[in-house]
Amino acid sequence: MNQIVLPVVLPLLAAFLMQPLARVSGLLARVLGPLVLGLSALILVRLWLDFGEAPFTVAIGGFAPPLGIVFYADHLALMFALAVPVFTLLFWPGLGEGELDPDRRARRDALVLLLAASCTGLALSGDLFNIYVFYELAAVATFGLATLTGTARSQVATVRYLLISAFGSALALVGISILYMLTGTLNLGHLAQLAPHTLQGPLGLASFALMLIGFGVKAELFPLNAWVPEVYATAPARVSALLAGLVSKLAVLVVVRLLVLVFHQPEPAQLLMVLGLLSILTGELAAWRAKDFPRMIAFSSIGQLGIVFIAFSISGDAGLLAGIAVALHHLIVKSALFGLAARWNGSLDALAGAARRAPLAAGLYVLFALSLIGVPPLPGFWAKLLVLVGLAQGGSTLQLFALISVLLVTAVEASYLFRVAVRLYGQSDSPPAPPARWDLGAAAALGAVLIGVTLTTAPVADHLRNVAHQAGNAALYVDTVFPKTVAQKD
Amino acid sequence: MIEFSPMISVEGVIYAGAIGLVAIGALGLVLCSHLFRMLLALEIAESGANLLLVLTGFRGDSVAPIIGYGPAGAPMVDPLPQVLVLTAIVIGVGVQAMAASMLIRIYRTYGTLEMAELRRRMELDTAAAAGIPAPTSAQAPAGGRPLPPVPAFRPTHAARVRES
Amino acid sequence: MRNIASLMFTGGLVFLLLVIGAQLAFGHPGMQVGAEYLRVAGPELGAANLVTAILAGYRGFDTLGELSILFAAATAASLVLGHRRSDARRDPTGGLILRAGVELLFPLLVVVGVFVVLHGHLTPGGGFQGGVVLAAAFFLVMLVDPARGLNHALIGWIEGLAGAAYILIGIWALVAKGDFLAVMLPTGVMGNILSAGTLPLLSVSIGLKVGSELAGLMANLSDAEARDQ
Repeated sequence: MNQIVLPVVLPLLAAFLMQPLARVSGLLARVLGPLVLGLSALILVRLWLDFGEAPFTVAIGGFAPPLGIVFYADHLALMFALAVPVFTLLFWPGLGEGELDPDRRARRDALVLLLAASCTGLALSGDLFNIYVFYELAAVATFGLATLTGTARSQVATVRYLLISAFGSALALVGISILYMLTGTLNLGHLAQLAPHTLQGPLGLASFALMLIGFGVKAELFPLNAWVPEVYATAPARVSALLAGLVSKLAVLVVVRLLVLVFHQPEPAQLLMVLGLLSILTGELAAWRAKDFPRMIAFSSIGQLGIVFIAFSISGDAGLLAGIAVALHHLIVKSALFGLAARWNGSLDALAGAARRAPLAAGLYVLFALSLIGVPPLPGFWAKLLVLVGLAQGGSTLQLFALISVLLVTAVEASYLFRVAVRLYGQSDSPPAPPARWDLGAAAALGAVLIGVTLTTAPVADHLRNVAHQAGNAALYVDTVFPKTVAQKD
Repeated sequence: MIEFSPMISVEGVIYAGAIGLVAIGALGLVLCSHLFRMLLALEIAESGANLLLVLTGFRGDSVAPIIGYGPAGAPMVDPLPQVLVLTAIVIGVGVQAMAASMLIRIYRTYGTLEMAELRRRMELDTAAAAGIPAPTSAQAPAGGRPLPPVPAFRPTHAARVRES
Repeated sequence: MRNIASLMFTGGLVFLLLVIGAQLAFGHPGMQVGAEYLRVAGPELGAANLVTAILAGYRGFDTLGELSILFAAATAASLVLGHRRSDARRDPTGGLILRAGVELLFPLLVVVGVFVVLHGHLTPGGGFQGGVVLAAAFFLVMLVDPARGLNHALIGWIEGLAGAAYILIGIWALVAKGDFLAVMLPTGVMGNILSAGTLPLLSVSIGLKVGSELAGLMANLSDAEARDQ
C-alpha cells in the first residue's frame, strides 16, 4: 500500500531527468513521459481493485501524523487520482502535433509530468500545507504550459493569470497562518478533531474565505476567473483541456475536503452558494455572447463549475453526490470539447459546414452538447437533476433562487450550444479543417465513456452514492488517520 | 513578551506590519497599470504573507530551535512556521522569476509594459488569429458599415499664402 | 475615482483584518504540534538544527514539492526566453572594481555556500540557503564577463542528477524500510557532520540542485535581450 506514493514520485523523477536524457537519446525522452504515466495508472488501478470498503492512510517517511504528512485514500481520492494519469495520457501534448526542437520538447514534457504529479498529490494528500505546495506546483506548471505557443498574446494572458493566482496564494497563506494560530496543526484529520472548539467564530470564517480566494483561482470561482477566457483562447487546446477539465476539478476537491472536514458552519456553504450563483450567471451569459469556439466553451466551463459549487454547498450526502456527479460529467465532456476545439479555433461563423468534412466530430459535438444541456437519458441530465432535487429539498430562499437560475441558465446553454450545432451542419464553401486524429480519438473515447455510463446509469449511480457517503463522513476520516497511523506493510 | 509600552508589543507591531504589507501589495496590484510595478506589488504582498506566517511561531523570551544554541532547557520558538516560510519563500522566488522572464518577452514583442495597452493588443491579436472582427469599435465602427469618405485635404488660402 | 474606491476598500479590509487579528494570541502560540516537534525531533533524528530536521525529515515530501516548483519555474522561464541569437549585442564586461572584487569574493562565496549546505543539520542553514549563495557566486562571474556563457549542458546534468538523487534516496528508503523518505543510515552523535542519517545527503542534493538551477535561470535571464535588435 505504500506504493501509493509512486504515482506522485515517479513523474517527478522522470521530469527531473527529462532534459539531460533528451541530450543522450531523443527517442527515450519522447517515450519516457507516457511510459511513466502508464505505470502510475497501473499502480492506481491495482490499488483501486484491491480497495475494500475502508479508506487507508499512508504516513510518508514512517512519521506518524500529525508530525508527518499522510496520504489519505478513500473512494473519492482514488477516483480522482486515477483520472489524472488517464486524462494526461489522453491529452498528452506530444501526440500528433510535435515540437521540432528536442530541447523544447523535453521541457514541455517535463512540465506536463510535473502537472500530473502535482494533481495526483492534490487528490491524495491529507496535510494542508502539502496541498498548498502541490497546488503551487500545478500553478507553475500551467504557467509554463499556457505559454507553449510562444506568441506574445499567450504571454500577456498568462502574466495576468500569474498575477491573480500568485496574489490568491499569498492570501491563502494568510488564511493558513490564521488557521495555524487558532489550532496549532496542519493535518486535516487533526484539524477535523479540533475544529468544533477553535474555528467557530469570525476568525475561522475569515481563514476559510482567504483560503477560498487562494484555491478558487484554479476552480474558476467568481470573481477570480477573469483570467479564464484569455488563457483558454491563447493556450494550446490540449493544455486548455487539461486545465479546464483536470486541474479545476482538483481545486474543487480541495475546497470540498476543507468544507467537509474542517468548516462545518453554515456560512461557508452559503458563501459558496452565492459565488456559485454569480459564476453561473456571468459565465453562461458571456458564453452566449462569445464569438469564437474556444472562448465559448471556456465561459461555459465557468458556468458549469458554478453549478458544481452550488451543488457542494447543499449540506449532507445529497449535495456531495450531486457535486461529484456534475464534476465528473464536466471532466469528461469539457476535456473532449477542448480536444475538438484544437482545429476549430476560429470564429463561430467559420465553423459552418464542418460536419461535411468531419462527420464523427460533429456528431460527438452534438452528443456532448446534449449531455451538457441535460437531455435524458444522458448522464448530464441525471447530474443536473440531482442538483435540482437537492436544491428543492433544501427549501431556503437562496436555494430556490439558485434552482430557478439553474433552469434559466440551462435554457441559455441550449441556445448557444444549438446555435453552433446548426452552423456545423450548415452549408459552406470553405469548411474548417477537421480535428487531428489524436484529438478526435480522445474525444471519441470520452464519448464512448459517456454512452457507456448512459447504458449503466443505475450501477454507476450506486457507486457514486457510496463514494459520496464515504467522503462526507468526517468521523471516518478522523478514525482512519488516528489511531491507525501507519499503514500495514505488505 | 517584550513591550515598548503597555499597549504596543513586538508581535503587535509585526502583525500590523505584515497586514500592512499585504494591503500595500493589494493596492499596488489594483491601482498600478505598469506590469513591472504590479509584479513588485505582488512581491510585497508575498513578503507580508511570509512575515505573518513566521510570526505565528514567535514566543517571547525564547531561543532559536537549535539544540545547543541557547542554555539547556530554555524554551524554543515553534519550528514549524519557519519550515513553512522557507518553502513559501522559495515558491515565491520561482513564480517571480517566471513572471520576470515573461515580462522580458512581452517587452521584446510589444514594446510596452502598460497593462491597458497590452490587453488591447492581445485582444486584437487573438481576434486576428481567429479571423473575427475585433471587439473594439475603432476597428469596426457602426456595425461594420464602411466609414464615410474623408474629403481630400484642400489647403486654405492662408496656408497657401504662408507657403509662398 | 477608482483610486479612492480601491483605497477605501483596502482600508476597510485592513481594519477588519487588524481587528480580527487582535484576538489572535500572537506571542503565545498554541504549539500543539510545535511542542511535539521540539520534544522528539532531536532524539529521533539526531539533528541539532530542528528546522532542518523537520524540513528534510518529517516534511521531506513538502521539500520535494518545493524543489519541483523551483525546477518548474526554471524550465518554464527557459521555455519562454528561448535561445539567444548568436549575433546579438552583449552587455559590457565589468569594470576594474567589479573584477577585483569578484576575484576576492568568488572563492569566499563558494566556501561559505558549501559550509552552509554541509552544516545544514547543525547550524542555521541548509540546502536552500547554501544553494542560493553558490548561485550568487556564479552570477557574479557572469556579471564580470557576460560573453563567457554558462555551460548549459553541465548545469542540466547537475540539476537533473541532484534532483534524481533526492528521489532515489527516498525510493531506497521505500524499498529498504517500506516508507518513502524515511531516514536511513545511523543517526550518529548529535553535533558531528556525519550524523542525522540521510539528512546531510538530502541537504547536499538540495544545495546542488538549487544552486545549479538558479545559476542557469540567471544565465537565461541575463542572456535575454530587452528589445529585438
